[in-house]
Amino acid sequence: MTPPFQPRRVLITGVSNPLGAEVARRLAPQVHFLFGCDVADPVSALEEMDFVHADTRHAAIAKLIRQLRIDTVVHMAVTVDSAREDRASHETNVIGTMNVLTGCTGPSTRVARLVVKSSQAIYDAGPTDPSFFSEDMVGPERQGSSVTRDLREMEQLVGEFALRNPHCEVTTLRIGYRVTEGTTLAKYLSLPIVPTFAGFDPRLQLLHQEDAAESVVRSVIGSHPGVFNVAGSGVVLVSQAIAIMGGRPAPILLPYGRWMATFGLRALAGIFLPGHLADVLTFGSVADCTRLAEEFGWGPSYSTRAVMDSFARGKEEEVIEAPSPPQEYELQVFLQRRRRQELRDRQADSTSMVTRQ
Amino acid sequence: MRAEPASVLTEPKKQLRRRSRNAEIVTPSPNKLQLSKAIRKLQRNAPAYAMQGLVELSTRLREATGHEIIDLNRVMEFVQFAYQQRELAQRGTAYAVDDFGFDPQWTESFLSIFKVLYRNYWRVETTGIEHVPATGRALLVANHAGVLPWDGTMIKTAMFVEHPRPRHVRALVASLFMGMPVFSWFLRRTGQTVGHPDDTRRLLERDELVLVFPEGVKGTGKPFKDRYRLRRFGRGGFVATAIRAGAPIIPVSVVGSEEIYPMIADLAPLARTLGMPYVPVTPFWPWLGPLGLIPLPSKWRIQFHPPIHVETYPPEAADDRNLVMALADEVRETIQEGVYENLKRRRSVFT
Repeated sequence: MTPPFQPRRVLITGVSNPLGAEVARRLAPQVHFLFGCDVADPVSALEEMDFVHADTRHAAIAKLIRQLRIDTVVHMAVTVDSAREDRASHETNVIGTMNVLTGCTGPSTRVARLVVKSSQAIYDAGPTDPSFFSEDMVGPERQGSSVTRDLREMEQLVGEFALRNPHCEVTTLRIGYRVTEGTTLAKYLSLPIVPTFAGFDPRLQLLHQEDAAESVVRSVIGSHPGVFNVAGSGVVLVSQAIAIMGGRPAPILLPYGRWMATFGLRALAGIFLPGHLADVLTFGSVADCTRLAEEFGWGPSYSTRAVMDSFARGKEEEVIEAPSPPQEYELQVFLQRRRRQELRDRQADSTSMVTRQ
Repeated sequence: MRAEPASVLTEPKKQLRRRSRNAEIVTPSPNKLQLSKAIRKLQRNAPAYAMQGLVELSTRLREATGHEIIDLNRVMEFVQFAYQQRELAQRGTAYAVDDFGFDPQWTESFLSIFKVLYRNYWRVETTGIEHVPATGRALLVANHAGVLPWDGTMIKTAMFVEHPRPRHVRALVASLFMGMPVFSWFLRRTGQTVGHPDDTRRLLERDELVLVFPEGVKGTGKPFKDRYRLRRFGRGGFVATAIRAGAPIIPVSVVGSEEIYPMIADLAPLARTLGMPYVPVTPFWPWLGPLGLIPLPSKWRIQFHPPIHVETYPPEAADDRNLVMALADEVRETIQEGVYENLKRRRSVFT
């Protein structure tokens, strides 16, 4: 019997988004070699991580995976909540994933574990849907918003990959909605007067950033192949969430004719509400996380209510996290070079010692 | 102009005085209309005075006529409702809804209104409430009638008025209502959920009392001439779910709901354009506008039948089409017979 696979050389794509950075921070002490790639500069300089500017939308990412002899890929370069136009997020989500999967196939690859970050947005919330989404409730017959369709296509690619490569353990995590600094939902709920859809007060299920990162780390370290929903337990009503944030709901958005609501929000509050989020704020989307609890033996530590409370506290405290200045990235690169040079020197020393003896 | 504290100290007194004379008087503008003390006191005590007056009036009227003109108990129900609403407003965000979005406290605040409808408006007579278990899962299956689902409301109220251990009944509603504004949040918040097999199973697994109307909108939208003739019971999906969840089925017959909105016609083309299952025409709707929405005060009877113990079947039996259809037919027959029997017991539509 072969010993259980232990990740040694790990690559995190999309490491510069806050969740990717948190995952890197938690993985760094647990694996031997940690590589990170993204288009943007990293949020924080991690000494144990080798960072490289790389875009998953280019096929070169496959070469990177092979030449770095990566054995575990954590694919986090999946945009769900972005203000960019749909075309760009399609490129990132579908083409980017395709390129990463190419790097994981072929005879020269060593990838034995793949963790893909997906989103709860893959369930397209609607009035006919059951109250809870379990993992198998994604059908091709459903029409969804562009993000939903892209995610579905992406997961289909990942599913096919998992079928063709039985030697590779594939974990897909459908991460729930988060209200960390900067997400559209967070911006929306923090408004002093929150325009809501008239006559609707759906349930809202949230996930804490720490729990999201923890679920990714657990699926990297442990062996949990499959598709899993990751979301906090319990729900809050949207009106309740707004009240917790100290805002006031204003039921002025029309539930019919979505473009009007989207346009109105953009004009009034400067918030671009993606189609899938508008559905969530009208009909609600709640995921069933039984499979996660059974397979991982772990569940998010923050309930939805706790996420909301901590978010409200954070708003009072006004934590300002300064983005890392460009020098810091330069400094990081410099330190990495130094470290590698030292390693090489030490190796050269030891080999020369051996030859002398 | 605001002077720095230091300059205030150093400035000569005369100059200071001149400055203060020229200074604008900055007082907080009376943005709130301040009522005098007496009026505010009156405002606070108004409900108490009103109640006192009402009690006095009621006693005098009773003495004068010898009849109960103002029923104080009924008045108290409304007062209670108003009081509960105020209490609800004060709880702020300190409440929790269950995973289905059900808010029990909020729902119970409406009970006083529904109890008045139950006792005084429709004069509901309920029999067989002892068949409903006080704890554990059970599936109530009822006939559906009346354009708006008042029958569901009355079954829910019956559990609170008649049952020795009141429980919330969780009804399953057509997904169509979940897509409608106001309905969607009101129904969810009062404990209803989508009529999806998955939801039924989850509710039963939580040992809830679930109410299902297998006729669906076919039942509520049937014309008045077809009253009390049960429609097709779907494909018996509710039986399969009950067998899988191991829950007994309790058939419920409701009489009286058919007459609350006698539907004489259905504007089918308009319904199709609006995406609704039907657009009813009653003798009062849409002719009288919102007044047409007031249901007629028919006499109601609700009968809970003895449970059909489908939980004795193994879960695999749920896949047996013959058995499921036979059981669904049995439930339908029981309800239909119960309806006819209760119709006989009723003297007329309104008494």
